[in-house]
Amino acid sequence: MSSPSRTFEPEPLTPSRSGGSAALGKNVTVKGQIFAREDLTIDGEVEGTVECHEHRLTIGPNARVQAGLKAREIIIQGSIQGNVDATDKIDIKKEAKLVGDIKTSRIVIEDGAYFKGSIDISKPQARAQAQQATPAAAPAAAAATTQAGTPSR
Amino acid sequence: MKFAVPKGTFAKSAAPGSAPSVTRQSSGLDQFHSLLKGAEDLHVLDLSGASQANITFITNAGHSFSSDDIVATMLQHFEDDFAENQQSDSKAAAFLEQTLTFPANSFDGVLAWDALQFLAPPLLEQTVERLLRLTRPGGSILAFFNANEKVKEIPLYTYRIQDSKTLIQVPRGTPQKVQNFNNRSIEKLFESAASVKFFLTRDNLREVIVRR
Repeated sequence: MSSPSRTFEPEPLTPSRSGGSAALGKNVTVKGQIFAREDLTIDGEVEGTVECHEHRLTIGPNARVQAGLKAREIIIQGSIQGNVDATDKIDIKKEAKLVGDIKTSRIVIEDGAYFKGSIDISKPQARAQAQQATPAAAPAAAAATTQAGTPSR
Repeated sequence: MKFAVPKGTFAKSAAPGSAPSVTRQSSGLDQFHSLLKGAEDLHVLDLSGASQANITFITNAGHSFSSDDIVATMLQHFEDDFAENQQSDSKAAAFLEQTLTFPANSFDGVLAWDALQFLAPPLLEQTVERLLRLTRPGGSILAFFNANEKVKEIPLYTYRIQDSKTLIQVPRGTPQKVQNFNNRSIEKLFESAASVKFFLTRDNLREVIVRR
């Protein structure tokens, strides 16, 4: 009696639902704009802007950042000179140094952290209303542009 | 890449064996809070450096919060001897360049705490002039001054607001020499202000509310 043959087929690849994460190590220097569609950790030097909409941005303990930052959540352990905008939360650890203005819904700051600037706590509802109000101007502007650009016959 | 972020000793919790934190009642803070309570969306500057307690206290009251740590700037430029090193023109200039750099008429309230008592003329007057300039007309400044002429040195503290009448003083560095102030000297210091109100305390602090 022969043993039944068994075949193994690899499981089909499925896209990761949790998303990946990217990192810039402490020996990396970036000058320019960074756009991330996943969680990002920066532990090097960055000059410019960093945007991680809907994701978490972590500024590591070795990081030296001269940039405006935007993300869903921002964790700060290193040095930042620039404005910080987190739709959900900003977490400033005790070893952090931040010079710039903060805009967020929630803020946690540990004793020992250095911060110089202003804090704007805006609730998610207020932010959503502000964002809804902004696009209303765009169609009107587009219509005006179309009228101006339409050739006469 | 150059940074304007200062080095030095920042607010830290009391290390084992160092002076403990002190909880004290504050009539000056109570008065400052009552001035904020009757209004909405004011802008308050805290010169003790940012702390969760103070941020929560001010923003929960419906106001905006800004932070600058003037004692950290003193530590950066004057290091271990404020009295001696602020006599250096270059160090005094460097301190002023980094201190209270907000635009004029930025704030409705300023929590200066006890920082001013560690400065001597002419740097003291220059800093007060800057402090008044960035306070809006009608705005208030809360400041503490040493009231005991026998006390020559005072520990550095960070001030945490526990509630509208209670403060926690958290030690943050080695004691520094302080100026001695009486009511007349404080009035003279703020002579360009609209009013100066004094609050007596049981300890050696003279609490002052200055209205611009």
